[in-house]
Amino acid sequence: MTGLSGRVVPRPMAVGVQQMDGSRGGFVLALVVLMLFAISIMGGAGYLIVSSEARMARYATQGEEALAIARGGLQRFVSEQLGVVADSMRYAIGAGETLVTARRMSALDPFTDVYFIRSDAAIVDPLVPGTPARRVVGAYAHHRRRPVPLHAAVVLSVEDFLVGNNSTVSGIDIGGAVCPGGVAPPIGGAIARDDIDRTGTLLGSPEEQYWSGGYSEFMTRMGLRWDVLSDPGFPVDFEDVQPDFSTLPADSFPVVRINGSLNGTSPWSGRGVLIVRDQFDANPSFTWEGIVLAGWVDDRIMGNIDGMLIGGFSGTEPYDEVETRNGDIRYHSCNVRRANESLSYLQLIPNTLFEVR
Amino acid sequence: MSAARGGFTLVETLIALVLSSLVIILVSSTFLVQNRYQANQVLRAGVHDNARAATDLLARELRSSMRAGILVAGPRTLTVRSPVAVATVCGQSGAFFTNIDVHIDGGVSRMATEEIAGVAVLDESTGAWDYERATWSFVDGGSTGSAARCAGNGADTLNAYGSFHSIRRLIFLYGLDIPDVGELVMLFRETTFRIDDSDLEPGVLALFREPYGRDPVEFASGIDTTALFRYRLGGTTYQDTVDAGSVGAIDAVRLVLDARMRSQNLPGAEVTFGLSTNLPLVNAP
Repeated sequence: MTGLSGRVVPRPMAVGVQQMDGSRGGFVLALVVLMLFAISIMGGAGYLIVSSEARMARYATQGEEALAIARGGLQRFVSEQLGVVADSMRYAIGAGETLVTARRMSALDPFTDVYFIRSDAAIVDPLVPGTPARRVVGAYAHHRRRPVPLHAAVVLSVEDFLVGNNSTVSGIDIGGAVCPGGVAPPIGGAIARDDIDRTGTLLGSPEEQYWSGGYSEFMTRMGLRWDVLSDPGFPVDFEDVQPDFSTLPADSFPVVRINGSLNGTSPWSGRGVLIVRDQFDANPSFTWEGIVLAGWVDDRIMGNIDGMLIGGFSGTEPYDEVETRNGDIRYHSCNVRRANESLSYLQLIPNTLFEVR
Repeated sequence: MSAARGGFTLVETLIALVLSSLVIILVSSTFLVQNRYQANQVLRAGVHDNARAATDLLARELRSSMRAGILVAGPRTLTVRSPVAVATVCGQSGAFFTNIDVHIDGGVSRMATEEIAGVAVLDESTGAWDYERATWSFVDGGSTGSAARCAGNGADTLNAYGSFHSIRRLIFLYGLDIPDVGELVMLFRETTFRIDDSDLEPGVLALFREPYGRDPVEFASGIDTTALFRYRLGGTTYQDTVDAGSVGAIDAVRLVLDARMRSQNLPGAEVTFGLSTNLPLVNAP
């Protein structure tokens, strides 16, 4: 055996090294493998900690989002309810979904119920579908079953109102004979701002009233959310179309909204709640059973309304005087009650929103 | 082959030792860097965990608190009343109708009755809750007949018969002014959040949660000495302290803190995580 210099290296010097032959290089390799193993273990543990932390952070964020979805769903449910309150609705909001349920809790008075509204929201994480982030909120709401107050058969925000020839305006119930509740107490005949005259018939208790406070008093006393009712985004049964009443159940009183003015002719006759955002102009052939709500009315109202007419919600009243002619507007308690129920709505009771555990 | 089996020269051995030492140093330094990085990440995770624990629990109780639900608003102490359950009265019973029946969503078994600190009644005309302290065992009237009485007053009891319950002895809390059918009552908890010296980690602060009548529990440690609560009263500015007469106007609480954690393994290693979170009160005026 020769060394690097080419000299002969005595045998005994090589003995010790030769004895290491079986493990030569293996020591370093083993050490490196051990180190790499330790590094990978620590790296794995670190990854688990960091990734689980990231997952927890994401879960917490999703929990916050679920809370927002639950609250949003509850608000949406309350704002969308018109008429009979739905038992439950499911909404997809953002990255999650919420199930809103309503339960009637008690009757506060003949026209107001108390409801418990519960919104159960969940966001499913595709990585861990078995444990969705879930938050539940609850709140209480009044269900107003008579939102249109019974002040008079005709309520107008105009200055002068004339009950003209061949016309009757009456706050005496004409529907009591056929209504389940019997004859209802009379309501006012007509309300205007300054003056009410008559060449036709005006009946009621009282026959006439004056709201001298004008538009602001009109809105305060009516207490209706006209901005909501006239908003095209607010869902109603029929919008800008004439309902085919022959296909509707006989006892249905739908909510019909016209997003503009309506020239009421015979084909537009029907029943329910008629909301006219701008001008309501009725011809002699027009009939309606229920409630008519209008931004303002034409200076000459004709046709027959068995229920109530309320005009002036828009605040822009182009006529100083409005007259009824060749038609009757008579209070019909049954039609008004049914129409009112179609218009009934939920109203959250303030300071009752809470998180259900 | 026979020559190779003869062994290594001293020089070969030295070269091998040098090379293997280099490899070992390289791998070791990688290991140490990785070790430090991992320890640092664990620290960060711990700090985030503390910060999140501090905000999550606080947020849950604060957000749900009713209007004027904050009793004490100091820089290091916050006492808040929040609902365990809100219910509407749907029935009455007992002499002079001093017991009321209510619907509790999910039933009493799912309610944290041990946390109940009292009963409150809502005055709908003002939106204010009238709080009275009482334990659940004092006011618990059982559930016998509650659902039937509520059904008699128009409640929908379908599939929820077990969710109706009676609350009794209200005459001791409200005299004869017992809430009527349709009125709203609340079973509330009263919790004090306090930033104080940590029992678990000497030298740092911690957030303690102290339910009414019970011992404080440390649930978020590792908070730096700069931590404090701040309060907004309708405007855009926050203040550290609100006097008792104005706490009803608080509409948001801000938690400002630095979560801090020292490494147990790496001397001198410390991670700080600054946090400022706003918690608006959903029922604020």
